[in-house]
Parts: sequence; structure tokens; C-alpha cells
Amino acid sequence: MLRFVLKRVALALLTLWILSVIVFLAAQVLPGDPGRSILGNLAAPSAVRTLDHQLGVDKPVLTQYWTWISHFVQGHPGTSYQYQSAIGPMLTGALGRSLKLAALAFIIVVPLGIFGGVLAALNVGRPLDRLISTVGLSATTVPEFVSGIILILVFGIGLSVLPISATAPPGSGFFTQLKYLIMPAVPLTLILFGYISRMARAGTAEALESDYARTATLKGLPRGVMIRRHVLRNSLLPTITVVATQTGYLIGGLVIVETLFRYQGIGSLVYTAATHKDFPMLEAGVLTIGIVYMVATLLADIMFALLNPRIRLRAAE
Amino acid sequence: MTSSDHELDRLRRGRSELENHYIDELVAGRLNRRDFLRRGSAVGISVPLLGAILSACGSSASSSTTPPPAAKRGGTLRVAISAPAAAVNPLTVADAGGLCMLNQTGEFLIFDNNLKLALEPMLALKWSPNGDGSVWTFKLRNGVMFSDGSPMTADDVVYTFQQLAEPKNASNALSTFQGVLSPSGVKKIDATTVEFHLDAPNGNFPYLVSSDNYNAIVVPKGTDFAKWQGTFIGTGAFKLKSYAQGSGASFVPNPHYWGTKPLLAGTEFKFYSSQQPQILALQGGDVDVIGQFVPAGATALLNGSTYRIIKLKAANHRELSMRCDQAPFTDARARQAVAYSLDRKGMVTALLQGDGSEANDYPFGPRFPSTDPSVAQRNQDIPKAKQLLSAAGHSSINVTMDTEDYEEIPQLAQVIKADAAKAGININLNIESQSNYYGKATFGNSDWLDGTMSLVDYGDRGVPNVFLNAPLVSGGPWNAAHFKNKTYDSLVKQYVAALDLQAQRKVAGQIERLLLDQTPLVIPYWIDGLTASTPSVGGLNPTSIAQLYLNQAYMS
Repeated sequence: MLRFVLKRVALALLTLWILSVIVFLAAQVLPGDPGRSILGNLAAPSAVRTLDHQLGVDKPVLTQYWTWISHFVQGHPGTSYQYQSAIGPMLTGALGRSLKLAALAFIIVVPLGIFGGVLAALNVGRPLDRLISTVGLSATTVPEFVSGIILILVFGIGLSVLPISATAPPGSGFFTQLKYLIMPAVPLTLILFGYISRMARAGTAEALESDYARTATLKGLPRGVMIRRHVLRNSLLPTITVVATQTGYLIGGLVIVETLFRYQGIGSLVYTAATHKDFPMLEAGVLTIGIVYMVATLLADIMFALLNPRIRLRAAE
Repeated sequence: MTSSDHELDRLRRGRSELENHYIDELVAGRLNRRDFLRRGSAVGISVPLLGAILSACGSSASSSTTPPPAAKRGGTLRVAISAPAAAVNPLTVADAGGLCMLNQTGEFLIFDNNLKLALEPMLALKWSPNGDGSVWTFKLRNGVMFSDGSPMTADDVVYTFQQLAEPKNASNALSTFQGVLSPSGVKKIDATTVEFHLDAPNGNFPYLVSSDNYNAIVVPKGTDFAKWQGTFIGTGAFKLKSYAQGSGASFVPNPHYWGTKPLLAGTEFKFYSSQQPQILALQGGDVDVIGQFVPAGATALLNGSTYRIIKLKAANHRELSMRCDQAPFTDARARQAVAYSLDRKGMVTALLQGDGSEANDYPFGPRFPSTDPSVAQRNQDIPKAKQLLSAAGHSSINVTMDTEDYEEIPQLAQVIKADAAKAGININLNIESQSNYYGKATFGNSDWLDGTMSLVDYGDRGVPNVFLNAPLVSGGPWNAAHFKNKTYDSLVKQYVAALDLQAQRKVAGQIERLLLDQTPLVIPYWIDGLTASTPSVGGLNPTSIAQLYLNQAYMS
């Protein structure tokens, strides 16, 4: 097991380094330059040149990359070009907020999705199955900005029961923060519910058809016990993978939800950095999302291995 | 002689020749009340005196706004604004969110009060030019202190303007000061007097050191501009309580403020990255004020009377340039054909919800008193457009228009395309992100400056000098039309140097006619500046470039 984990960590580090190179190269291709994006489109060219020089973006690209990565590995993510302040506190703050929102969305959607999927699988072909599948699929196709605005109009403006902004006042307690985060979490739940429930449904349906399920039924196990002990354990494996791969989206891909609900998460931070060619912030943000993603998939793999001895054995070979 | 004539005579005594010129213009009816306030304040006549002159002439200086609801002390006003695009550094700020932050604690020598359409003393009490407008003398207010309790003197003013005008600095104000003011031209005369020796005479110089030049807040001598964001040190009515990058800022009254203490107990600014969430936040009661918004997508605020809307006549506009050095626009008649194909009235109604006015293909508009209003407005005339096109030797033309994805511009581009097609001008649209469109913003590296047709946005200014220069003079840095005309160049020089309004208006008329004849660019409309609040908020003082002074704001 330890060897399995170490191998995965090494692979993750390599992937992150490749990611940093790709982001760096992609950032070079983006039009515009940081000086101009700070001073505005109509700034005097001499002022833009001076600012670019002060920021160090007129240095050769390799020098820029080396300066950045050598500091980054020592734990200094550097200074944002755009905001002229240390990236560390901004990034950790944004990451914390993103994690909070993602955690809430997960807590709502994972049990709901699995429950819905299993329920649908146990009723394959019946109206309940069709209902769950259709609702789930329809909800997935509703973009966040549509569901988000409808929620704001109904619960924020019409009924005035929930705050419109997701940012709770500083120093708010757990329940206040929860109240602020419920509305932005719902569009995410809608998007992910269909996905997770379909995976859970497919896994469960397949497991129900399997030989071991039939054997368990034939040897006289009550249906409930058979489902809990034999079916769920096997059917949830693909669901875990799906949930883990959605972490990247839930942490870094929420630009629209963050914009709509005025929530400064890591998604909008990275998006703004990309549009302003704020290279140190962009790199640090993308790598942070990458690290979270790697950790999530690693955890998923470990869980997978714990639930499924075949993986463990293969990895150890 | 009536008693008001006597009063006027008394007021005239001791006034300079230029000041008396404006009084003459007012008496003769060549200057209306509004323009008199604007022009008189520009040459340094104090606001009480302007009021006295107006009342002697049978007019009143007070503006006709609706009486406010009962003002109440205290409370924290919550304001939605665009998130500052970068660090709040007085030297580099260039966006609406950033400049609104600067003005929360910072003050200018002069305030361009857009509500009253007049320049008001802020940190300077009086200002006056020499005979030809090449040297301007500013008398500073006594007893002004920064928010840390240190006194503000001429040294601080000299430092501020030398830094802003320094070509070696990454100063955004260089786009205003280049060719107008050099660092060595800023001179301290005594502790409360500063002189500006200009590179060339300039009749509108007070505007360039007013709140119009949003970078020009006075900071203490020796300030490291890059670190200003940590303190927000200034002389304004409020001082910084907290600033959270990308999220918001809050301010409390500055105990050292020289003026009337604010009514509010504090202000809280919330940063947004787009307009729609701001509108939703106002509707949902999350904020009390939206600092500035555009009509596109704001029907919820503009229709009905639920919200208080402050409209300011502004010089925000769009410019459609046509390359005078490239086929098919080498012939002025082809350019005029485009201008006559457009339905400007329809554009103002459809794209601006009526919150703007038609423009006439030159950068003089209702915002500027120097505009010669006698030049007729261009209207849509398809037969004339077709006739001009065929006179230029074309039955139809095909051309590409480059433009940017910004506010209502993509929709405007569609409307232009549809209108122009009626006259046989077929436009292919190339709508790009702003960074792609502007590129490096130099010739040869920018679709904005290189495109055969190019549609760009211009923000508000208190005087048209910038609009007349950079986009239109030969070799101007923003001359996307590649327009070269010696007569025009010399007319602009005359206009900039002209001190009195009559002379400015005369040259303006010549410029207007020349630009209509040549049509290097089309200006479809002027866009008003808009601010919204809940009905319980009063005393807001916004400017059309997105500043928001809250000294006298209150919640009832």
C-alpha cells in the first residue's frame, strides 16, 4: 500500500511540474502585457514600458520562469503583478472559501446522488427510475447562471429569506456562513446530481445483475442485507472516481457562481489572473487547483484500493 | 440703472479681464447659466461669487434637484462598485473601481462637480492664468491635514504633480500631461502657493488638475505610491478602515478632515466583477447604492420608480474610425456614406434606453460649453449615402470592422452592420476580447489602430482636449483613422491655447465643420453616466467617470 501511495505521489509531482510548464507557455501566448492591463488600454507607451520593467516582465521568459519556480518550491509564491501584494495570503484565503463551498456542495450532492441512483437502479424501468433519470439529466443541462439567477430572484429578492451574496460578514459563525453558502451550493448540486446519480445507478444495476448478487439472493440473504453488503460496496466504486474527478471543477471552475454571488474563490482569482497576464498568480492558482485535484484523486484511489482488493494486489505486484 | 446693474458693477470690480469677459458673455446672453458656472469656475471665480453674479443677472446658481428626504446622522452606507482591476496605486490606477477607491480618501486641487456642472475649490481655493494661459497659479487651502494628522502644504502638491508628470514613472496621468506639463514646470512659490509653468498655453488646464484627472489626488511628499494601498492616506472626509483585495473596502470619517464632517458613521464598498450581480444586490437589499452602471442590461433599475437614478450628462462615447489611407475609405465621400447610413436616434433608444444623446461625428457634445451648437445634426439618409458611395466610385463595398467585446459595443456593431448594409456597405464583424483588440496599442501591433474600420470606446472627460488630440491629429498615438490634415492640426492648437469661451467656440465651429466634411470617424452617440440607489439614500455626489463622493451622503 505504501509503495502504491509513493508511486502515485511521485507521478503527481511530475504532473504538477508539467502543468506549470504548460501554464507558463500558455501565458506567453496570451495577448497583451501586464503593464498595459494595469495602466489601461490608453496609457502612454513609455509608462507601460516602465511598469513592465518594474514588474520584471521584460526579462527573458526562461529567466522569469526560473525566478518564479525556484521561489515557489521554497514556499514563496511571490508577488502578484496585478495587485502588487503577496500571493500567499490571497491564495490561501480564496482556497479556503472555495473549499468551504465545494464541501457544502459535496455534502448535499453526494448522498443525494447516490441515494437517487441506487433507488433508480432498484426500480429499473419503472416510473420512479424514469423520474430520477429525467430530472437529474435535465438539471445537469441548466447552466449555473440560469439556476443561480432564478434562485436569487425567488429566495433573495422575492421571498427575502436568503442573502444574495455568498460572502458572510467577517467573523460570522458556522450557521451564518452556512446560510450565506446555501444558495450558491444549489446550482452546483443541480449540475452534479444527474452525473453522480447516473453513475450510482449504472454501478448498482450492474452489481444487481452479477453472479455474486444472485448467489447471495439464492443462499437466502434478505434483500436489504444483500444490497448493503454485496451490491453497494461494488457499485459505489465508479461513483467515487466520478466524485473525485469533479473536485477540480468544484474548486477551480466556479467562476460564474463566484461572480454571480460575489464570492472570491480560487476560480475567479485564476480567471482574473489569466485575463491580466498576472503570471505568478496564475501559476500559483493553477498549481494549487492541481494539487487539490491530485490529492482528491489520490484519496479516491486509496479508497478504491481499500474497497477493492484487486487494485491493491495489482499495484503491489 | 437698476439696482441689479449696480450690484453687477460692484461685483465686476477687481475681477480680471478674463473673468469680466465671462460676465459680459452672460449679460449678452451668449453664455447660459450652466455654461457660465462651468466656464467661470474654470478661470477661478469662486462659487459664492458666481452665485452673486447670476442673481444680479436674474438667475439662480442652485440646481433644480428634488428636495431630499429627511437626512439622518449615522449608519453605514453599502456601495456596489466594479472590483478594482489592479492595486490601488494613485500613479497607475486606470479603471472605474480603482479610481472610485482613490476618491474615497483622496482629494484633488479642484473638484469637477458634475451635478452642478462647475469646477469647485477642493484643496485649491483660487486659481488664475497669466495673460496667455501658459502659467497657472494655485492658492492652496489653509489648515488642511492628511488623515495621519500631518499638515498638507505646497511641498506635497509639488511632489504629487512632479511624480504624475515624470516621464520615467509608470504614470497613467502621462496620457494627460505629456506635452502639457513637465515635472520641472511645477513650482512652489510659498507654503500655500503653487505655479504650473506649462509646455504650451492651455486654456483648460484647471480641468487637468481637477477630479477629471482621476490619478491626481494629493499625497504627502515622499509617498511610495506602490505602498499607498496600505494606508490610503489622503485629505478627504473618510479614512481607510480595511481593504480586502478583490472583495471590498470600508471607510470611517477622518477626524482631521478640513470640511463639514460626514453624516455617515461609515461606508462599505463591495466589489463585483460584473454589472448584473450589482443590480441583483441592490434589488435584494444587499447594497444601498450602485456607484456606476450602464443602461445595457439595467432595465430593472431604469423602468419604474423603485430606485433613485442620478443621470449625468457625460462625454462617454464610441468612435468608429475609417482608415483614410486605405481603400475604400481614401475618398471622404465613402466615409460620409457610412455616417449617413446610421440611425442614431434608434441606437440611443435601443442600445442606451434613451440615456444618452445623438452625436455628430466630432468630439464636441452637450457636455462641453465650447461646442458650437449651430452645426446641424446628421441624420440617417440612405439615398444620400448611396449617392455619396457611387460618387466615390462604388456601387457597394465590402469591409471588415474590428471591435471589442465591451459593454453594448457588440450590439452597436450589429446595428451599424445592419444600417450600413441598407446603403450597400457590407461589413464583416470581427469582435474580439479587449486584450486581443487593443493588442500592444501601437501602430502595426493592434487591431484597434490597424483595422480598416475600427470601433472603440472612450470614457468621459471634462474637456474635449484629449478627444481632439490623440485620435485625430496627424501622428496622434490613438489615430486609428490615420487622419492627416494640417488645417485640423493647427485649429486644435488654437483651440487648446484659447482662453476665453468665445474664441474656443469659434474654433470649435471650424473644427466641427472640417470633421463633418472629412468624416475620419463616426461618433454615434454620447452616453450618460448613471448611478442608482434605494429611495432612502440621499446626498450622493457621483461624477461621470465613476467617482463617488459621500461627504454629504445620508440614509433616511
